[in-house]
Amino acid sequence: MAAVAGRTYPAVRFEIEPDAVAAFATAIGADPADGVPPTFAAVYSLGVTAPQLLGDDEAAVDFANLLHAEQEFEWQRHPLVGETVISRARVASDTSRRGMRFVSFETDTTDEQGAPLSRSRTLFVIREDVRPARAPAP
Amino acid sequence: MSELQVTFTRERIARYAEASGDHNPIHLDDDFARSVGLPGVIAHGLLQMGILATVAAEAAGGPDHLRRIAVRFAGMVVPGDTVTFRAEPAGDGKLALTAVNQKGEAVLTKGMAEFAA
Repeated sequence: MAAVAGRTYPAVRFEIEPDAVAAFATAIGADPADGVPPTFAAVYSLGVTAPQLLGDDEAAVDFANLLHAEQEFEWQRHPLVGETVISRARVASDTSRRGMRFVSFETDTTDEQGAPLSRSRTLFVIREDVRPARAPAP
Repeated sequence: MSELQVTFTRERIARYAEASGDHNPIHLDDDFARSVGLPGVIAHGLLQMGILATVAAEAAGGPDHLRRIAVRFAGMVVPGDTVTFRAEPAGDGKLALTAVNQKGEAVLTKGMAEFAA
């Protein structure tokens, strides 16, 4: 299994659109009038960068056996509705033991001027001792 | 202390999938979920965390005050489960966060938040 600690991914720009914020706020039971819900970082930070890891053939993360084990978000400033943010992700660590692979994935998000907004830290645990799952039925 | 009880439904999970863009079929398709060893569809961990963050934000004096939140996804939440989300002051700008289902099992552990005045 490939260990890809230290790998970095290209910056991703994301515009925080009012409709997307309102839909997310409603889904978690927050008041859409309160602006961007803090955990909308699951979308503007983690959500835009996780596909880079999962689509990385060399990282070879087996999506079907992946467990989102831990999550942390940290903010210097919460983004505003309508703001464009820029996220850069990296694999902070990648280790295996006893048939389990532990991938720590971090994403730093800044505003368009490069001032820090947030950091997302994710621990993915991937079972390595199983066969790939079947695809969903058509 | 802030507290909120939420009963999870398929509709709620599907709405979060739509709003977050996380369309992993383990949250939407019972047959697929069973094929990977789950009892059926399960709620997104990030949906649980999102709800917990709204409770933490209330205890922190508003969402803008939140500076950090962390959880471990410890247990599955399935449609029909009722989860009690709670934020309690833990001193010095910190909150202890818990999420416990109707059987008394913690579904989120190591929950904590920090906030600024």
